[in-house]
Amino acid sequence: MKNKIIAIGFIVILFVCFALNIIKKDEEISTSERRKLAKFPTITLENVVKGKTSEEFDKYTVDQFILRDSFRSIKSFWSNYVFRKKDNNGLFLKDDRIYKIEYPLNKEYVKKSAEKIKNVYEKYLNENMNIYYSIIPDKNYYLESDYLKIDVKDMQKVLEETLKQGALQKDALPKMEYIDITNALTLEDYYKTDLHWKQENIKKVVSTIESKMNLKDTSSINYEIKELGDFYGTYYGQLGMNVPPDKITILNNSVIENATCYNYETNKTENIYDMKKWQTSSDKYDVYLSGAVPLITIENKLNQNGKELLLFRDSFGSSIAPLLLENYQKITLIDLRYVSSTILSNYIDFENQDVLFLYSTLVLNQNVLR
Amino acid sequence: MVFSSITFLFYFLPIVLGVYYIVPKKCKNIVLLIASFAFYFFGEPTYVLLMAFSIIITYIFGLLIDKYQKTEKAKIFLALACIISIGLLVYFKYANFIIENINLWLKHKVDFINVVLPIGISFYTFQMLSYLVDVYKGNAKVQKNILKLAMYVSLFPQLIAGPIVRYTTIQDQIENRTHTMEKFALGVRRFIIGLSKKVLIANVLGELVTTFLASNEMSVLYYWLYAISAMLQIYFDFSGYSDMAIGLGKMFGFEFLENFNYPYIAKSITDFWRRWHISLSSWFRDYVYIPLGGNRTTKIKWLRNIMIVWLLTGLWHGAAWNFIIWGLYFGILLIIEKLFLGKYLEKLPKIFSHLYVLILVMISFIIFNGESTSMILQNIGGLVGLGNVPLILPESVYYLKSYFIVIVIGMIGATPILKNIATSKKVEKIANVLEPIFLVCLLVICTSYIVDGSFNPFLYFRF
Repeated sequence: MKNKIIAIGFIVILFVCFALNIIKKDEEISTSERRKLAKFPTITLENVVKGKTSEEFDKYTVDQFILRDSFRSIKSFWSNYVFRKKDNNGLFLKDDRIYKIEYPLNKEYVKKSAEKIKNVYEKYLNENMNIYYSIIPDKNYYLESDYLKIDVKDMQKVLEETLKQGALQKDALPKMEYIDITNALTLEDYYKTDLHWKQENIKKVVSTIESKMNLKDTSSINYEIKELGDFYGTYYGQLGMNVPPDKITILNNSVIENATCYNYETNKTENIYDMKKWQTSSDKYDVYLSGAVPLITIENKLNQNGKELLLFRDSFGSSIAPLLLENYQKITLIDLRYVSSTILSNYIDFENQDVLFLYSTLVLNQNVLR
Repeated sequence: MVFSSITFLFYFLPIVLGVYYIVPKKCKNIVLLIASFAFYFFGEPTYVLLMAFSIIITYIFGLLIDKYQKTEKAKIFLALACIISIGLLVYFKYANFIIENINLWLKHKVDFINVVLPIGISFYTFQMLSYLVDVYKGNAKVQKNILKLAMYVSLFPQLIAGPIVRYTTIQDQIENRTHTMEKFALGVRRFIIGLSKKVLIANVLGELVTTFLASNEMSVLYYWLYAISAMLQIYFDFSGYSDMAIGLGKMFGFEFLENFNYPYIAKSITDFWRRWHISLSSWFRDYVYIPLGGNRTTKIKWLRNIMIVWLLTGLWHGAAWNFIIWGLYFGILLIIEKLFLGKYLEKLPKIFSHLYVLILVMISFIIFNGESTSMILQNIGGLVGLGNVPLILPESVYYLKSYFIVIVIGMIGATPILKNIATSKKVEKIANVLEPIFLVCLLVICTSYIVDGSFNPFLYFRF
């Protein structure tokens, strides 16, 4: 009897899965993983002979497998609760917060990132500018010591050493000052399901930057706080476990409301908070300055002091830029991941602006700046 | 195509099983032949012709050896067949290694040739050689039907990573084999256990091994973690594959011989090699060691025979010096045991003989995994803190905590403890009831790992 159950059960499972996989309509994207799913391979003689068709078919069967997300959840559960593994595909859950291991400090990549910053410095910046740089810690930095995490101080040391080499020591160039924001943040200032910081929690960071850059202190401003709704961050889909969502909140006042954002890529002017993206994008964090944009200029219509900020940034910059606007007439955000530093002068006149290089450890630890 | 893939599990296998059991008995071998060629073609489209060519050569020479049985001609045909088969293996597997080493001595360097190792060539070449030698010796009946011979060589359960199934083991089964519900269920059980060993233990520990190799934060603890994980990974990977092959064989009515018998409980290196990759070590014993004279010769020749066998065993595993060193390392250990250490090992308390085997085997797999001599020395030296390596660092502590349960499960799973518990009379009844549920759960969990994971190498593919 037992043998019958095993034999028939196995056959039934195989055939039911096979049939359902054939019947199931292929999906274009995985909303939980935020990526395009593999499609059925194009069959050509060349692809078949080279083995490309087989490879693509393997990817296709994995990506389009029935109940894919449920199976991923089972794996996460097993890895987390049975094997007691501290992470699953580099992600782990602790007190309802999802973290991704970013370890170890990749000195070579940090040096390469610093070289890119130095290239910008040497090519475009001048003695009339006030130049600063800061490192945004990833949220693991605030975990207890038995977790693997990058030490921001070590990273800053590598950055500084590379920046100091060569041109930075020339008298003609001003110093580049480091702004330490590690004490202005805590674990609670980051989303539980995402890598980013919460806009409503970074006023202390803004104050630290303002103080270091000799700007007007804006900590007393009372922003209108508007909660937009649930936010399932990037890590949520990657981990594949059930965790309560975060909330996305935007801070508003007349300066932000009247400001305009010019997107050099689309040649369109948008608002600071892109409500279209909030409704349509799979990543709700795109509500801040429309998400990944190579070059964008925010104009503060209520401030005519002529001050400008060039903010070299990654995605964290999208949510802090609106809060820095109070001190400037214009902020230009440059994302060197999506635009090469060699063509910046086609879009920006480098004169006497303030300059801030604001990058997270996650970006600096990879070789992604162009 | 790997067994632990969605393509195999939920597309290939149901189709092949369905067709196989629908067609009449006389067509079953043809179904298996077509399925096996399709299986190989999926992973190795170009080299399917090479395999077909090897089969044709083996078929023709098999007939010629049989026709001229017990004459000089048979010997010549056997020699020719061996030269062609081994020649192909040497060309595809060792040519660039030979060129690399010749170039060390040459002023004008020889260009490397542009070949990729055909998957499974070491396994099917050895199977074909065993067939030809057995026909020559009269131990096997010549196969006059080329399709049946092709089915034997290409039989997909054992084609790409063994075990090395000898023709004599299944010659009768090719003609006539039984299919019962019990055998099928045993096959399913064995397959799922093998799949779990591969997906849940070997692959997971493989991640740790890969992380270690990419790390710059070395410590004594980390070296030990690596050594133990690599040792468990290779065992669960390879024995898992053998389990799957044996299980699939049963589903299609075949009975393959066992390839592993809890090697990590061995009490000597000699004992270890009676339990590890049995089909390979017995192949070398029967087709190299004994023909060379085995131990029924002078002491010097006996020792020479052992070293030849282990040099070849090392080379069989790969065209690189670390594999040669690995083979010779075992050759020397076996000689030491045979000459004097063996008798002392027998008298030692079990715990010491087990430790002796585990440490020497662990070192052997560091050699096996080493890409260079310096890396091998560093990884062995690191175990005892050579090179001013700190005892522990945060990374090693983190990964110890993270992989602790998997390593413990691996250690227990490498012994017969669980098997003994499951088959003991006390729990037999409960085990009988729970077994189907347990197997379904394992299949679901393995599927979830395959769906989610991208880390799925088969270590023995390169052989």
